[in-house]
Amino acid sequence: MKAALISVTLLTIMTLSSNAYSKTFNGGADKSKLVPISTLLSDAQRYTTESATIAGTVTRVCQKRGCWMQIASDKKFQTLMVKVRDGDMVFPMTAQGKTAYATGTVKLIPLSLEQTNARRKAQQLEPVDSPETLHLFTPVAVTIED
Amino acid sequence: MSWFKLNRNLHRDIGYFCIGMTLVFAISGIALNHIHQFNSNYQVSRVSHQITLDVERIETPEFESQLLQKLALTTPVKARFWQDKNTYKLFLKDTTLYLNPQANTVLVEQVKPRLLLRQLNFLHLNEARAAWMWFSDFYAVLLIYLALSALFMVKGKKGVWGPRGILVLAGFAAPIGFVVYYSS
Repeated sequence: MKAALISVTLLTIMTLSSNAYSKTFNGGADKSKLVPISTLLSDAQRYTTESATIAGTVTRVCQKRGCWMQIASDKKFQTLMVKVRDGDMVFPMTAQGKTAYATGTVKLIPLSLEQTNARRKAQQLEPVDSPETLHLFTPVAVTIED
Repeated sequence: MSWFKLNRNLHRDIGYFCIGMTLVFAISGIALNHIHQFNSNYQVSRVSHQITLDVERIETPEFESQLLQKLALTTPVKARFWQDKNTYKLFLKDTTLYLNPQANTVLVEQVKPRLLLRQLNFLHLNEARAAWMWFSDFYAVLLIYLALSALFMVKGKKGVWGPRGILVLAGFAAPIGFVVYYSS
């Protein structure tokens, strides 16, 4: 009995210690709908209702809850935030530097001028005179590949 | 066997079965409650280095290999990205380099999933989805049984019908108190 208990405990620890998280969420992204991030952002209104798949290097991930990740655009300095509700998908922090595919739609959030310039300051960009719109990508399915 | 003895035996055996699951949820519950003070998922280390960076050569493979040599890193660069005009990022396996050519600094950020705690949080947040959800439901039903069967473990005044009944009431009063105080 003692041996069985020890075996179960060791097996559990080994299983839990393995790379347990999946790299696809909700069956994985639909790669037939690929749209470059720069194209999607230049025609963002269209993609608020039309589903598309974006792809790019994961440049940042939410450290605590894994509820968002930032994906590099095909255009220099441009990124797009992929955001989910807490717990819907948990993006691993180790995804940084990997390629992510996300299928979903864009959400447009108008910012005030103050918010716009605060964001630009954080990105080390020059302040502007007119408010900008924040683009968030809401995915229904995601694939992360090494 | 009397119902009293059967109840005690079931309570004991189901209790034994629930030890593992209870530890999983209890430990990860504490870890997730305090995730803003302590990152229980990942161990993140950041070390800054002062290195002269030539902005003209920063995107060349020669520069990359020299930099990795200086930092004693052996894994290859997987991806590169200009985050903003002052930050060029190089991605290696579980390591990100933040290069600032203006300040001549390289920040090396290494991310390591915490052994066991990461996996316990993975289970608690139901990242495994369907099968784990059903197993968790089953565990919840067992916990309900353990809670209710505990009421019938001891007969008479030494049980819940005696002074110890106050403990049961206290267990109900605490969550009610929080709801009344914080939701009003």
